[in-house]
Amino acid sequence: MNKKELHNIAEEWFSNQSWKPFPFQKQTWNAFLQSKNGLLNAPTGSGKTYALWIPIVLEYIKRNPDYGTKHKKGLKAIWITPLRALSIEIKQATERFVQEIGVPLTVGIRTGDTSQKERAAQKRAMPDLLITTPESLQLLLASKGYDKTFKEVNAIVIDEWHELLGSKRGVQMELALSRLKTISPSLRIWGISATIGNLEQAQDVLLGPDSKALQNSVLIKANIRKKITVKSIIPKKMETFPWRGHLGLHLLEEVIPIIKKSKTTLLFTNTRAQCEIWFQKLLEKHPELAGEIAMHHGSINKETRLWVEQAIRNESLKAVVCTSSLDLGVDFAPVETIIQIGGPKGVARFLQRAGRSGHQPGKKSVIHFLPTHAIELIEASALQKAVQNKKVEDRIPYLNSFDVLVQYLTTLAVSGGFYPDEIFPEVKSTFCFQSITQEQFRWILNFLTLGSQSLQSYDEYKKVDIEADGKFKVHSRAVAMRHRLQIGTIVSDAVLTVKYLKGGFLGSIEEWFISKLKPGDVFTFAGRNLELFRVKNMQVLVKKSKQKTSKIPSWMGGRMSFSSEMSTLLREELYRVSSTDAKISKELVSLSHIFNRQQRESIVPGPNEFLIETFKTRDGFHAIFYPFEGRFVHEALGSLMAYRISLLLPITFSIAFNDYGFELLSDQQVDMQQVLDNDLFTTQDLKSDLQKSLNATEMAKRKFRDVAVIAGLVFTGYPDKLIKGKHLQSSSQLLFDVFKDYEPDNLLYQQAFIETFEHQLEEGRLQLAMERIVSQTIVWKECKKPTPFSFPIITDRLREKLSSEKLADRIKRMTAMLEKA
Amino acid sequence: MTVITQEITIHSQTFVLHPNGAAYWKEKSILLIADVHLGKITHFRKNGSAIPESAMYQNFDQLNDALQYFQPKTLCFLGDLFHSFINKEWLLFSEWIRKTTSKIILIAGNHDVISPLKYEELKISVVYEWIIDFVLLTHHPEEREDFFNISGHIHPGIRLLGLGKQSLSVSCFFKRKHQLILPAFGAFTGKYILTPQEEEDVFAITKDEVIKISKK
Repeated sequence: MNKKELHNIAEEWFSNQSWKPFPFQKQTWNAFLQSKNGLLNAPTGSGKTYALWIPIVLEYIKRNPDYGTKHKKGLKAIWITPLRALSIEIKQATERFVQEIGVPLTVGIRTGDTSQKERAAQKRAMPDLLITTPESLQLLLASKGYDKTFKEVNAIVIDEWHELLGSKRGVQMELALSRLKTISPSLRIWGISATIGNLEQAQDVLLGPDSKALQNSVLIKANIRKKITVKSIIPKKMETFPWRGHLGLHLLEEVIPIIKKSKTTLLFTNTRAQCEIWFQKLLEKHPELAGEIAMHHGSINKETRLWVEQAIRNESLKAVVCTSSLDLGVDFAPVETIIQIGGPKGVARFLQRAGRSGHQPGKKSVIHFLPTHAIELIEASALQKAVQNKKVEDRIPYLNSFDVLVQYLTTLAVSGGFYPDEIFPEVKSTFCFQSITQEQFRWILNFLTLGSQSLQSYDEYKKVDIEADGKFKVHSRAVAMRHRLQIGTIVSDAVLTVKYLKGGFLGSIEEWFISKLKPGDVFTFAGRNLELFRVKNMQVLVKKSKQKTSKIPSWMGGRMSFSSEMSTLLREELYRVSSTDAKISKELVSLSHIFNRQQRESIVPGPNEFLIETFKTRDGFHAIFYPFEGRFVHEALGSLMAYRISLLLPITFSIAFNDYGFELLSDQQVDMQQVLDNDLFTTQDLKSDLQKSLNATEMAKRKFRDVAVIAGLVFTGYPDKLIKGKHLQSSSQLLFDVFKDYEPDNLLYQQAFIETFEHQLEEGRLQLAMERIVSQTIVWKECKKPTPFSFPIITDRLREKLSSEKLADRIKRMTAMLEKA
Repeated sequence: MTVITQEITIHSQTFVLHPNGAAYWKEKSILLIADVHLGKITHFRKNGSAIPESAMYQNFDQLNDALQYFQPKTLCFLGDLFHSFINKEWLLFSEWIRKTTSKIILIAGNHDVISPLKYEELKISVVYEWIIDFVLLTHHPEEREDFFNISGHIHPGIRLLGLGKQSLSVSCFFKRKHQLILPAFGAFTGKYILTPQEEEDVFAITKDEVIKISKK
């Protein structure tokens, strides 16, 4: 069949649906059929699935002229999706096409939700198209004979590549692709990405820098422009609107008319806890909504999630309170309106959420922004600008993630085993490990086989063995089993399943939350009030409770930070306030009483001013710095400042950060004039001071937790199993200290430090911020009490510590809280 | 290193609390040490968790320091001496025992799964409790009438609060009216935070100092 005949099959099917293929779809078909690799930049709901699935099927038709009657067995294509929730949608879309054109290709799903039985069946006979997640793909690489499974695969599509790119799951994908390139000779690699700042780089990372695959590739842009309208919900009574907080419940009544007016509304919250609370409160205040609203987040069980997704499609729900679990992919045509509760922190995320609505052609997307505290209205104003200018941030790929490499090599050693000489060039061909040296690779190999860099007497380390011919292989079944259980780079706390006493699975919950409860305590989960009965064998047994008040698990989840684009917009908005001639937005107008008060008690800084406020409260002596550079920069800058000041005198700081600034709180007064005289904002020795400040705080320690779990240093336990893993449990905090004392040159230990700042800050962002500060006039205000700007920071309870005092001296000043009798 | 210890008196007997977590009964010359968890590092390594193995020598160094400081006639381990099943750290332990002149007694804890016969080969007697006058030595804390109980098992720690939203958690000796719980002696062990009541005393330990904690 020639190209034209193949295209005809597709176009005929399109016209049967009374659709017309978009130019980007045809371009993608062509490129794919020309054996090209590529990156497709297309938004959700644009028909991106058909842009890639169709040429995969056409290619099969081309290779198998008797496709209608004879079915060639075996896996032909893999579709990677970052979220399990998306797999069903993709399955339906892909099945629809092959069924209607009469090609007997099968589609299967393999994710964490897939049953053991189905997995086993798939092992025996793979479907033609497998829809799976990066973790499940790794698991396939951990099974015997994977090379045979993947031999005939000629296409792999990585959907929502922008989501994976800036994470370690992206690194996992890069490594899997480096292997597939070797074992699947006719493989084409395609990524699909929403718009991000660094699309070209995304293509490099996907295909490998300087690779043959990259040379033979294209970047196709869908160029679908959608109109987005942003509406801020401005409280009617600004005077009583809170200065701090992150829930936004004050404005609950404002969303009711929006929900009632629109067919289906999605309310995006930033955390699962917020999601639970909003759902609960909506029902409490508006019982008439019962049955018409639902909740969706990652900890809720699969059945409920699927039911909610189906109900959105059927238009049987008025509103769904959700988290980023509904950020991606799924095309919910009936959704008309989006409400974003609290700052979305990034322009790309905000645009993506807005894009969840108004899917019908010609319709525009509407997104309402609901601020959770007053200052957030500045954010709302900046977001308006961001949407206008389409200023989208970059997703920064990881470099040298040795933890993921350790995991990946163990995976290969668990299945067929590997020869280092064969694998090294593959690893080095990836973006992440492009600069890895022979020495570093040797270090990793030693780590896997010896657990150290030299053979020691008395040592019994056992993980990967080297066979006579030089093959690296795991022989211990226990090691292999624990490794399989632990594959995956999304690290979370040990997770327990929540079940009713009389049976019935509700979802999963982080262990640290449950550990704070006693039997009889009531907590809210999956929208219900539940009484804890007991915790046994990784299961949380609960009963229904009628009690009204309850604790709500606050799932930790990483706190997000403003991107540099967003920070710039935010500063520009703020500077408008201090200038007299600029036209200001209605959001800023509504904040005028706060700005007036800020001006009265301190200042609203202008473009050439850097504000520092100091004041004393019951808590101690506060110093607040306002760089307006986003949380991540403030984390670095805050600990850097704390460190530099702590060199001047023995002092202990508690440090808090948000997107606007940071606070150094101490029980002693800091002489701010001395700080300013000592030129503490200098960029001199920046790198080494930052490194030292990291040693003094616990930030790297926390990062190390992820690294330790991914690299298999910490075993998180056997889920739902009775096997005793107890003697192997240890906290990564303890481990960190052992490494600090005994193996500080360990690559994984060092990685925790590098990741803490280098990864989350775009190259040089801190340096630029400090250069900007040095060029500004420092305005130090000694205030009588907390100012409006300082409020959200000083009330933040998530804090970092830094001390240059002797531990014993600190202990002597502190006291222990007594147990209340 | 000079260390600062604390002395407490129970029924006119003197107990010296050392920053490394050991308690020394002066009149009887008995050194009490709880929860060393020897073999833990090797146990992890044997199971594929690459913890720096040089860390396992720290326990022995610390034991030597304690013996040298107090020169006790008797050394009594209050349980969880060995973390898990026998492994090569046992050989190190055997060597260490041979060089030790004090009499050694082990009160078996929940982690002590190694056969008492193996200990007896090293001339260590294994018991489940030990009563000396009014003192009851056990692994698990327990309350028994007319006795003062000294135990381990809990790995007690305490959370301290201070001005400027400061907080800290440190290992400690935890003293109740009829009970003293020792901190874990082992290098690679965690701690469990306890909250004291009015009549309970807490002695926090740092690298070189035992500090009595005031309460609020």
